[in-house]
Amino acid sequence: MDKISPEDVRKEVHRFWAILSGKSPDKLEEMYSPAAIVFSGKAKRSESARLTAVRRSRQLPGIASTSKVEVGSIDVQFVGPDVAIAAYTYSFNTHKVQADGTKVQLNTPFGRATQIFQRSEGGAIRIVHEHLSAAAPPDMGKASE
Amino acid sequence: MSNISADDIRAEVKKFWDFFSRKSKSRFDEMYFHSATVFAADARRMEPARLMLVRRERELFGPASLVAAKLGTIDVQILGADLAVASYPFHLSITRTFASGKRFQVEVPSGRATQVFQRDEKGVLRILHEHMSSAEPVSPKELPPAPPSTPA
Repeated sequence: MDKISPEDVRKEVHRFWAILSGKSPDKLEEMYSPAAIVFSGKAKRSESARLTAVRRSRQLPGIASTSKVEVGSIDVQFVGPDVAIAAYTYSFNTHKVQADGTKVQLNTPFGRATQIFQRSEGGAIRIVHEHLSAAAPPDMGKASE
Repeated sequence: MSNISADDIRAEVKKFWDFFSRKSKSRFDEMYFHSATVFAADARRMEPARLMLVRRERELFGPASLVAAKLGTIDVQILGADLAVASYPFHLSITRTFASGKRFQVEVPSGRATQVFQRDEKGVLRILHEHMSSAEPVSPKELPPAPPSTPA
């Protein structure tokens, strides 16, 4: 089986954010190993990635939404031939239109991410652990017209 | 060398917080690989662990500072014979005293930690990467000045 390369990892990170910002039709749950554990942005406890993926997939931006993500430089540390740690900063801004027509904005300007990838027996690279956090609380409020 | 077990990792996590709260600087420093990287709870960027250790020593290891932590359940993921990830919630209480004499208390009731451990060439478990964060905003509170110590 091929070793993981930095390009493999960076490609997966960008795929992850393309899915989260509604710009890729790929399935979020397929990015995770079945036993993966996630600390999402504001959760007090870690949870199974399966739960996180289902919740995030429900919240993915729809047609009436716009999202913008900027991923900073991705640091990749290799720990053995089949495990790599990606650590990077990001900013995420999304505007959504709620059922009642209200526009809301969520802005995370100082996001920080650790994602640990491992190559599965089938050869796919999957996230086995994820910790997303923000150095400053995200802004959430009504979007301006 | 035996494979890492979940109990080995939980013991290392408890040692980490024990050294931190007892301000055992050298033993605390030894828990990290020289090349380790860290997202500190309030930092906007990742940094080498050695920089974080210098800052932590200056800010938290002084005689007038106090650190106390209560840990939640420690989840351990074994990723290889010598590699594992610990993740857990924690409640951290910190008191810092500045050179001006001002004292501040910081409560982090919803802290979250990810620590990646690997055995070094001697078989010692060390931290390779750490990500600390808080699920809630944290604001320091100023405390009244400490009473002057009374002579014996």
